Amino acid sequence: MIPYLGIMLASLLLGIIGVLLVNERHSRVVGSVFSGITMLLAFAVLVSGIQSGSLNFSENYIYYISQFNVSLNLQLTPISLALVLMASVVAFVTVFAGNPEHEREKTASALILLFEFAAIGLFASGNLLLFFIFWDIGVLALFFMIYLLGSANRRRAAIKFLIYELLASLLLLFAIMLVYFYTPMHSFDINYIIANSVTMSSSTQTLIFAFLFVAFLINMPVFPLHLWLPDAHTEASTQGSMLLSGVLTKFGGYGMLLAFALIPAAANFSLFVALLGGFSAFYAAFVLMTQHDIKRVIAYTTIVEMSIILVGIATLNPFGTAGATFAMLAHGFAISMLFLVAGSIGHIFADRDFRAVKGVIASSAATGYTFLIGVFATTGVPLTAAFIGDVLIFLGAIRAFSAMGVIPLLSLGIVGAYLYYVMNKSVFSTREVSKTIEYIGSSQKLGYAILLFFIFLFGLLPFLILNFFNL
Amino acid sequence: MIELLVVFPLVAAAILSLLLKRSPKAAGYIALLAALATLAIALSIFISPGAPQSFQWFTAGNLLFSISTTAAPINILLLMLVSVITPLIFLYSIGFMRVPSEQARFYFEMCVFAAAMVLFSISANFITMFIAWEMLGITSYMLIGFWYRKEHAPTAARKAITTILIGDILMLMGILLIGAAYGTFEFSAVLSAPGSPALDLALILILLAAFTKSAQFPFHEWLSDAMEGPTPVSAFLHSSTMVKAGVFLIAVLLPLYEAAHLLPVILVIGLVSALIGVSNALTDRHIKKILAYSTIEDLGLMFVALGLGSLPAAIALFFVQTFYKALLFMGAGAIMRANDEKEDIYKIYGATLSRPLIAAMAIGALSIAGIFPLSGFFGKAMLEGAAMQNILVYTIIFAVELGTGLYMFRWMFTVSRKSYEQTSTLKLNYGSIPKSMMVPIYVLAAAVLVASIAYLYLPTYLQSSSGGASISDGLIGMFASIIGIALAYRIYLQGHRVHLESTSPGMFAVVHNSTLVNSVYLKITRTFSYAAGLAMYIDFAFDKMTYGFAQALISSGNIIRKVENGQTNMYVLGFVVGMVVLVLAFIL
Repeated sequence: MIPYLGIMLASLLLGIIGVLLVNERHSRVVGSVFSGITMLLAFAVLVSGIQSGSLNFSENYIYYISQFNVSLNLQLTPISLALVLMASVVAFVTVFAGNPEHEREKTASALILLFEFAAIGLFASGNLLLFFIFWDIGVLALFFMIYLLGSANRRRAAIKFLIYELLASLLLLFAIMLVYFYTPMHSFDINYIIANSVTMSSSTQTLIFAFLFVAFLINMPVFPLHLWLPDAHTEASTQGSMLLSGVLTKFGGYGMLLAFALIPAAANFSLFVALLGGFSAFYAAFVLMTQHDIKRVIAYTTIVEMSIILVGIATLNPFGTAGATFAMLAHGFAISMLFLVAGSIGHIFADRDFRAVKGVIASSAATGYTFLIGVFATTGVPLTAAFIGDVLIFLGAIRAFSAMGVIPLLSLGIVGAYLYYVMNKSVFSTREVSKTIEYIGSSQKLGYAILLFFIFLFGLLPFLILNFFNL
Repeated sequence: MIELLVVFPLVAAAILSLLLKRSPKAAGYIALLAALATLAIALSIFISPGAPQSFQWFTAGNLLFSISTTAAPINILLLMLVSVITPLIFLYSIGFMRVPSEQARFYFEMCVFAAAMVLFSISANFITMFIAWEMLGITSYMLIGFWYRKEHAPTAARKAITTILIGDILMLMGILLIGAAYGTFEFSAVLSAPGSPALDLALILILLAAFTKSAQFPFHEWLSDAMEGPTPVSAFLHSSTMVKAGVFLIAVLLPLYEAAHLLPVILVIGLVSALIGVSNALTDRHIKKILAYSTIEDLGLMFVALGLGSLPAAIALFFVQTFYKALLFMGAGAIMRANDEKEDIYKIYGATLSRPLIAAMAIGALSIAGIFPLSGFFGKAMLEGAAMQNILVYTIIFAVELGTGLYMFRWMFTVSRKSYEQTSTLKLNYGSIPKSMMVPIYVLAAAVLVASIAYLYLPTYLQSSSGGASISDGLIGMFASIIGIALAYRIYLQGHRVHLESTSPGMFAVVHNSTLVNSVYLKITRTFSYAAGLAMYIDFAFDKMTYGFAQALISSGNIIRKVENGQTNMYVLGFVVGMVVLVLAFIL
């Protein structure tokens, strides 16, 4: 039994040291190598999981705080496997391709590896204290990504991001402590809590769920706590945006799935949560229609998608859960690809306003077509991974909330219509072509290719992941 | 066998996308080869249909997602139409596409489009159908916007994809409702399932989706704008693919609509669309848009046939329309080629200069007008036979027929006028239309003639109990068309043209109602924009509120900070006041 998860985390830590030791020019390569190794290991996990037909990756390392019975225990559920795969791919592409300007690559690479470490640790953590620690590492890594590497107003956006996220992690800590004190054996262990949380009184459960819910709502983000996201995206570097939407928002999604699993009483609120998700999807879709910065447009599609995922989570049936997981996987690939495209457009034209950028297809056909496929992958066109996610989410929603459950799907129509409008104005409008300031390199194109590959891989072969679910 | 149908065009597309930046000339031939290979396979399936097949894609619980194909007669009919038309279109394109740098992209998109249509024609469940359906929408978006350097092409493409996207989402909603209610996506299983409210809702959603795809009122306006695409695309889109998908799907699901009592809706929308198509075709000046409106009319009539519950009539119209519409579009492309790509019919001259061309096009025009013994007549005859019971419907069809004869021959007569200044250049131009463009036109003209014989076998082939229509059913409609043609002759050849646009603009606005419809579309998007503005305002207000909250924290901090300002007398004062308050509190 190879301890894959431990090796992945160790390789990332080694990677951080490696990046910090070499000089600026080589840092991206070193970062890519270690991140690439992690990605391959993640797929090795998938392959061995498929071969054995089950996921029993449970790894226990040193006792971290023995008094609290906290060890570094890592485990994989189907949900975390999907998210670990996604996070490792997205982080690899981010470190490898996300910086066409080659600005401060050493800092960026080190922070990306640190964030990847946090993300994989969080998705694979077997107890809540580790979950919390990895959560904060991730948030801080991204805070520094924005604060150090963003554009002009980065500091303000970074602080805003930090305040929202720290509020979330504070609530998370409260909730975790409450769970610890109110479970009979005083444990942080997720499996133990899931098995024993019924013993908590319903009012305690409600309180814990309320804390967790708000914390994860902030992180997902869903209306009305989404306001940090557009600003953070506008100011973050391309790499920051890719990780922010691609992976960080999945902390919240994963946490929300976990919250519903941990707290049985949460089921009482499922209808309310689904309504909030549905409303948020339409709300964000409408706000999306007023945005002009390509990055902000894409940022709002994240809110729409995450709201739909929230609907899937709130269905509380296997379809909705598997669908939400799959949609998070799909969304991670698609959104990081779109942010890579937006970053490349910004790099090529030194502008990201789609009314000003003209003729992307003439300057960089690869960027233009990848943008187009990114739009398909966002609106859930069949054969892209998003389609599977949407189908499962809404099958679950119909089962849970009758035919009404399918309504939030309409919000994707608004998103799609506006995205095609953006395409029409910027990518396919070549009557006048904006001046090309810079060219993108082959690493960006390879980055597109990798993400496209995974979008279609999981769109064509969804059973790779779905077979692990008990549908 | 059946899976190879899709494989060939896709392999061709892959080759085109990878290898052919360098040798653009080969692109068309590779695509043509793939289309011919598909035709060969389709023929072999036609001869020995074989059993339905199903490939498991994945399962989710008890729900099986599979790629299922069927070789039912109606599917094979569409498959044959598609695979016969595809090589003709590709051959035509070889002559038509002159820009070397765009060859590979064009044939790539066309091949994917053809593959999607073939897959659609043989699909046996909702999942397969939906995959093909979306692929059709996307590739049509790419193809309509193919000349993205043109001013209106990207806008036209966006209009198409936006309309189609609405349909796609509604369709997906419908499919999911069916999947959740019945636990299956197979057409055959759903067709034999008992009705339920969920199914009715799903059927309405699917019907709306079909209306978007088949350009029926109120979703019809994208189709005329889609003329911004290259002419082979228009011919392809309008004859056997894409817009036919909606009609075909409803035809397959017709028993369900009958059981759900939705036929009157289909009938009314069909009639309205047919009238809109005719009135706009009468007043538009764009050579291809007139044909586009005529397609809306044709599709409307197919929906009328479906709405009357007559599947044979719908399929007959479906069958005959393929040939004459492809023929007319290709002819229009050839005429435009000879007239320096002019699009206004009043600026186009001399179609008579090429006698074989005008002869072929006359066959097409007479067929669409429903003149015996061309194939169009039989389609219309069956429709009229089905409509006999309902006098109102019959009257409207009569008016539509009259309009068809009128606008079709307005089109024919106008483009064949002589231009005395340009005769020599025009003669040269018409003479130099490439053979590869003319051959498909002749083949299609022959097909229009042959289709009237093939029509006789259609009812037996479809194993339908209600046989073909009698010829007498169609005679009244033909009479209407002849009146229309005679009117066209008098108005457009003898110079009695009415300038409705200048003489009565109000009347013109009603007849040429595409402007009106477009302004309604614009109103709807405006409404959405207002809603979006409101949402943004709320978003902004929320953001301001959080800032206000932060500001309030800071100012409260500022107030409390004054307590510790370092002045001893203030501390003493505070101490004394505090003591007094405490003492008072204890005493009281």
